[in-house]
Amino acid sequence: MYKRINKSSKRAGWLVILLIPMVACNQTRPTDPDYIRENYTKREVYITMRDGVRLFTAIYEPRDRSVAYPILMQRTPYSCSPYGENNYPGRLGPNPALMREKYIFVYQDVRGRYKSEGRFQEMTPAIDHKQSVSQVDESSDTYDTIDWLLKNTHNNGRAGIYGISYPGFYASASLPEAHPALKAVSPQAPVTDEFIGDDCNHNGAFFLLDNFDFYNYFDGPRTASGQDYQPVFKVPHPDAYSFFLNLGPLGRANTSRYFRDSTMIWRQVVAHDTYDGFWQARNIRPHLRDIRPAVLVVGGWYDAEDLFGALRTYEAIEQQNPVNRNRLVMGPWTHGGWSAPSWTGFGGYGFGSDVNRYFQDSLETRFFNFYLKDKGSEDSTEATVFETGSNQWRHYATWPPRNAVPTAFYLQTGQGLSTQPPAANGGSDSYLSDPAHPVPYTAGAYGDRNNQYMIEDQRFASRRPDVVTYRSSPLTQAITVTGRLRASLFVSTSGTDADFIVKIIDEYPSDPSGTGVGVQRLVRAEVFRGKFRHSYEQPAAFVPNQVDSVSFDLNEIAHRFEKGHRLVVQIQSSWFPLVDRNPQQYLRIPGARETDFKAVRIRIYHEAEFPSRIILPVMQ
Amino acid sequence: MKKVLLLGFFILTLQVVCQSQDSAWIREHYYKKEVYIPMRDGVRLFTSLYIPRDATQKHPILLTRTPYSCAPYGPDAWKDYWNSYRKAYFREGYIMVTQDVRGRWMSEGTFVEVRPFNPAKKSSQDIDESSDTYDTIDWLVKNIENNNGNVGVFGISYPGFYSTMAAASNHPALKAVSPQAPVTNWFIGDDFHHNGAFFQMDAFAFYSSFGKPRPHPTTIGPSGFTYYTHDNYKFYLETGSLKNLAGLLGDSIPFWKDLYAHPNYDAWWQARDARNATRHLQPAMLWVGGLFDAEDCWGAWNAYQAAEINNPGKAFNKLVEGPWYHGQWASHDGTHLGNIRFGDNTSAWFQEHLEIPFFNYFLKGEGDISSIPEATVFITGANTWKSFSQWPPAQKQDQSLYLQQGGGLGWSRPASTGGFTEYTSDPARPVPYSEEVHFNRTREYMTDDQRFAARRPDVAVFQTDTLQEDLTVTGSVTADLLASLSTTDADFVVKIIDVFPDNFGYNDVDIYAEKDPDKIYPMGGYQMLVRAEVFRGRYRKSYTHPEAFTPGKMEEVKFSLPSIAHCFRKGHRLMVQIQSTWFPLVDRNPQQFVDIYHCSEKDFKKAAIRIYHNATGSSRLILPVLKNE
Repeated sequence: MYKRINKSSKRAGWLVILLIPMVACNQTRPTDPDYIRENYTKREVYITMRDGVRLFTAIYEPRDRSVAYPILMQRTPYSCSPYGENNYPGRLGPNPALMREKYIFVYQDVRGRYKSEGRFQEMTPAIDHKQSVSQVDESSDTYDTIDWLLKNTHNNGRAGIYGISYPGFYASASLPEAHPALKAVSPQAPVTDEFIGDDCNHNGAFFLLDNFDFYNYFDGPRTASGQDYQPVFKVPHPDAYSFFLNLGPLGRANTSRYFRDSTMIWRQVVAHDTYDGFWQARNIRPHLRDIRPAVLVVGGWYDAEDLFGALRTYEAIEQQNPVNRNRLVMGPWTHGGWSAPSWTGFGGYGFGSDVNRYFQDSLETRFFNFYLKDKGSEDSTEATVFETGSNQWRHYATWPPRNAVPTAFYLQTGQGLSTQPPAANGGSDSYLSDPAHPVPYTAGAYGDRNNQYMIEDQRFASRRPDVVTYRSSPLTQAITVTGRLRASLFVSTSGTDADFIVKIIDEYPSDPSGTGVGVQRLVRAEVFRGKFRHSYEQPAAFVPNQVDSVSFDLNEIAHRFEKGHRLVVQIQSSWFPLVDRNPQQYLRIPGARETDFKAVRIRIYHEAEFPSRIILPVMQ
Repeated sequence: MKKVLLLGFFILTLQVVCQSQDSAWIREHYYKKEVYIPMRDGVRLFTSLYIPRDATQKHPILLTRTPYSCAPYGPDAWKDYWNSYRKAYFREGYIMVTQDVRGRWMSEGTFVEVRPFNPAKKSSQDIDESSDTYDTIDWLVKNIENNNGNVGVFGISYPGFYSTMAAASNHPALKAVSPQAPVTNWFIGDDFHHNGAFFQMDAFAFYSSFGKPRPHPTTIGPSGFTYYTHDNYKFYLETGSLKNLAGLLGDSIPFWKDLYAHPNYDAWWQARDARNATRHLQPAMLWVGGLFDAEDCWGAWNAYQAAEINNPGKAFNKLVEGPWYHGQWASHDGTHLGNIRFGDNTSAWFQEHLEIPFFNYFLKGEGDISSIPEATVFITGANTWKSFSQWPPAQKQDQSLYLQQGGGLGWSRPASTGGFTEYTSDPARPVPYSEEVHFNRTREYMTDDQRFAARRPDVAVFQTDTLQEDLTVTGSVTADLLASLSTTDADFVVKIIDVFPDNFGYNDVDIYAEKDPDKIYPMGGYQMLVRAEVFRGRYRKSYTHPEAFTPGKMEEVKFSLPSIAHCFRKGHRLMVQIQSTWFPLVDRNPQQFVDIYHCSEKDFKKAAIRIYHNATGSSRLILPVLKNE
């Protein structure tokens, strides 16, 4: 049960780790620096943007000059290392097949990061209809870069962009007012909206553990050479739960010991505790209009960082571009898992095959080859989605699929769950939510985020008095849920604010053959900060002990609950230290003091007048 | 990694080679015999003998009496002594004897669980385990050729109980007895109850098989219970009340019915206290126990102490306590338990330096035992063996450690009035005794990380500041709680915990690395369970006459925890956790003053439990602190 601590810093920091096994594991597909050196030349250039700022760019061009190749680029805040024209990386491009296909692979340090000039902005706000050369954003930087590359490399006049996580954001940000040569873009787990669903916050609830570790690493001082960043501080926390509980209110991190500098990104993301102009400017979705390149959005069902971003980026492009070549791939992956050499299972569950072979060869490579090289055929499948539980790839003409019918499952008295609305009045369950003993997001002791928490057995939580669990009868036939989930709760609290975490769980049947059965496999969980139940911009207090409704989306799933399994819903009001503790009093949480944190009694209603439910799109 | 694997393979191969050599040597130099030995009342007990072929000298006898069978049966089927350190006794030329106790396996007669010791036997029909041992020894010394007239007895767990009973036989040939983890009192501290709280999981797992009737001698053991789930928390929670649990067994298991018929410490239980058999002991006694024995930790400490009190001036009544799970001292690996490491192989050290020299001296007249002190105790935390001339040590001083407001623990009594900590104990969501979903009761829970429990709202946590110097605690900690309940009964589980510093780590690779490279445990901030004990509140005044609590009224709940020998190192913290369930290890208290063995599911109520820490209600621990010599 106790897994090696994941060194998974937020936003694809761990991709660096992924690259290392590539060399060792993939014996039949040469991906080592020698192969790259033999087949590619490297040069490092500064490309000048329209405002005069120069961005550091590494260009790997095929030695074969008989053909003009397309450009395939990644723009990154994580460095385009290794630096030096004689230093080659362990792999090039999004996957080994594309490297063998040969593209002009380009890596660029984004504005203000590593060896690039200029000022870095967290999630650079996009500027529509720019009026002058001094108005720059990631779209214009990408435009200027492509323009330079077209003129200065031996290319076929086409360019593509890909990136995972933060680089996924830069891929999305290349789309508005894109350079005409930009033909194919693959935003993969793109950071999209950090208040509503990605990385920093989910539905206004602050992702403490990820943010604390990430900004410590990401926002540290740049060295003179521009090659390295140092962490802001060095504070080991072998047990994150104890560390953050002892740390106390968020404000305690704004000290000389931790995020000492008032300009640090951490300070900003903590301070902006509503969906204000800061966050709205960092939501790329409204800008995803008039999209001309083909788009392949990729996301992972077990992506703890940007699951929301993948699904909502696809959705925004779809909704705002009636005519499009915008497609979605969702697989059983963690953050960026699709770029690993292989992916046959996760969290103790096998997927029946190497899903990465399928993705990399049949989807990703095909996409870029077709749009950038006219090679192969166009894949017109709108959505290619891996259905967990049944372990099948599904292909849909729309996403979500049309034949999924929203079906309400009502919480019942006696911890039941069924499609029958409760007939009687007076049903409710309550629990005491105590910020001094928050519900852990994972069993065991971990220093870093346990990446498996999204698929973890929830029995550890079922055993707590501050978690309520509702279980259906054993299913008489399998049900497949494909599409977006919604929780619609009727609640009250003895305080004036509260968080609500809703978990959708697949409970396997009990059987005497082992402890593995009876497992409560997490399929999806999401948190909602109650004060935002009416509006993310205008939070509102709860009236103590008065019934109120809290409704929110839990993103999509594609999961088959097998016959004999139970559908289980858990509700709790803390998820620690993944999410910071809500003081459960209506106040600005960044300014809360330790004494502001109060234990409150939360009540979940399930009666005729207040029928709390989850709504699942069930495939017919 | 490959190197490690290869090395592992090499060691394994080496072990197999050695074992086959030992096996060949034993078979060459011994012969096996099976006999029925008649007892004074005519009942015959099945006995298995391994006898040296060497007739040039006389040999001592080492006897174990067991309810777990002297299998394998048949003159040509040999017990695999060569896989155990006990092969050393073969090299030493001992006659090794195992006997099925009365009424079990191949022995005749009727089995009685922890059969009461009868100090005043009047006729040949008055038998007990002590007389059975006497008759067995008498037969052995008279019938085995070339025996030297000296007999030793040893055994672990239930056989430890039979060892205590053997000592009380006082047969003149019996020179040395080593009861190890001896079952001593099943109401107060061993196996099936601790301070009156029912250890339902151990009891059910054991009696659903062991408790089945054996109408005739047989070599075939009873079948076990078939569980519908191997998630023990789920099984016991869904089964519900003890009445329902009994329903799963039907009425086939006599002792299960006895357990239910005797909820309190009545005369029936008192007669089953093995300490009744610790008077006038003639043989040399070496009591052995494990500090982390989940079954009979209590028995070893307390049987030794009873023998000490009941036999003043006795020359050789000594104690060994090591950092062990139940029987670990007889295993190959005494280097660690769960995540906690002990430095050296403490088991091998015990075997070579204590047990074997003990028997060699008293049964063969060889060697020297002057180096075996009154008490040889392993100090966990410091990871050293320490010798004491008495137990508890003369240098220990009782010091009160008071619970403080805000989760503190300190040496001074709180001055404020009105301080308390409250939690709600909900029998529908009992606190797990172990974090992981699992089936069999683990033995590692005794040293497990308690962080999972500290995170719960129904566990009260108190801890000292970072210790400025080592704090060594040797002896029995007393929990002296001032508590009130919203209901009429509750359990109190007190856990003594060593909190490791955040930068703590073992220097070398993970102990599980060879099995599973993923199994590395974060030791920084580890909350090591040093001792935990449960007390069923209704027995706070008397185990015999339980008493209800008055809701809301503060009362004292005072009980002692089995001894520890632990050094809380400088830089660590001492933590106490208090909770009112420990599931499914212990049955759930309905938290009402009702007959727990016969109440129904609806009798189980939530209780708000307050632990007081103020000037008038000063809950504390009394720690026997070892002062520097």
